[in-house]
Amino acid sequence: MTSSTPRRLESGPVDPPGLDDLLRRVARGDETAFATLYDRLAPRVFGLALRIVRDPAQAEEVAQEAFVDMWRTAGRFDPERGSAVSWALTIAHRRAVDRVRAEQATADRARKAAVSDVAYDEVVEAATARFEQQQVRRCLGSLTELQREAVTLAYYRGYTYREVAELLGAALPTIKTRMRDALIRLRDCLGVSFG
Amino acid sequence: MSDIHTLSGAYVLDAVNDIERAAFARHLAECSSCTQEVAELTETAGRLADVSVTAPPVHLRGRVLEEIGRTRQLPPRPAQPTRVARPWRRWAAGAVAAALVLLAVGAGALVEEQRVRDAQRQSVQATAIEDVLSAPDAVLHTVAGPDGQGRVTVVVSQSRDQAVAVLGDLPAPGADRAYQLWMIKDGQTTDKGLLAAGATGGTKLIDGVRGEQRFAITNEPKQGSAAPTTPHPPVNFPLT
Repeated sequence: MTSSTPRRLESGPVDPPGLDDLLRRVARGDETAFATLYDRLAPRVFGLALRIVRDPAQAEEVAQEAFVDMWRTAGRFDPERGSAVSWALTIAHRRAVDRVRAEQATADRARKAAVSDVAYDEVVEAATARFEQQQVRRCLGSLTELQREAVTLAYYRGYTYREVAELLGAALPTIKTRMRDALIRLRDCLGVSFG
Repeated sequence: MSDIHTLSGAYVLDAVNDIERAAFARHLAECSSCTQEVAELTETAGRLADVSVTAPPVHLRGRVLEEIGRTRQLPPRPAQPTRVARPWRRWAAGAVAAALVLLAVGAGALVEEQRVRDAQRQSVQATAIEDVLSAPDAVLHTVAGPDGQGRVTVVVSQSRDQAVAVLGDLPAPGADRAYQLWMIKDGQTTDKGLLAAGATGGTKLIDGVRGEQRFAITNEPKQGSAAPTTPHPPVNFPLT
């Protein structure tokens, strides 16, 4: 966590070049730049929304809300604090999580049932061959079981750490720590760093 | 390492409720090493989306582009006013964050329940709650609940003319009863919201707080009352 190098996030293999520039143009109201941004990000944004909310119609709504948020707040994107891709995915993830939590409260769905089909299996089985995906899967596989479950239940299912603790029968401080440890391990495994 | 600092993983994964998110964001503003860690971990979490890449339906593009055509953009974030580093202010900010994290268990339930009623409005409200909690002039009041049970915390921002009340672990109000929130000015009580029937905690965003002198809660029928039904509210304390 300590680093004396200049704080510039390396974008990693998944961040297509020029997204920062596109966002700067979007912030000035450039709708053509926004359409390009949409084309580059939509499969990741929609895919994430679908993974979390499960229902395709709702995933479309969530993706649309996320893109409208990006349009509204493009002027507040700060490239010094992170890549454009992670900014966009943060917005989309938050929207999707808000959606499932509202649903959860409505349906008061049986949360215990989710334990048996932990998201990691789906992660492993997702049939794609892209290098980055393999890398993410390999790195998820390097986590301890508790770390992996804590991260996947939160990220792909939208559970709070309290719910995760309840699902996994672990203490709250343990789950908080596992989530952080897991992300640190993933960060090192994926080579996400300051350059 | 402080306890709130260990929340960085859960924060990055959105595995926190609105109150915890606001408290952690507040902590971030004062912790430069955390900022760097959170930036890196956010980047890492984003990579988890790699495995779910899915082509969206073709019609979504047209809908999104149509929608942004009629959506106004926000201006860039205004430069933050330089905070005066008075010790009490730092203490107050830390205390607000700590108190809110402690109370967040009870708070989550109501925030979620309110969401159901109107997800759109709720999203706006959650933002408003965060804004009050992180307002530079936020002042924290915290007292014990009825019969000394549970906690009542009120964060008031005069500049925003708003407050956030966070109630947790109060004694059960009884069948078909609910806790109601009030503010009092010159002996005049104003209804400031009602918790869900039977709820022992919750979070309320309160508008119109300028000039209000006291905050009180009472135990009322679940539909609420026009004025407190008891002259002696079990919680009643000054805001000034």
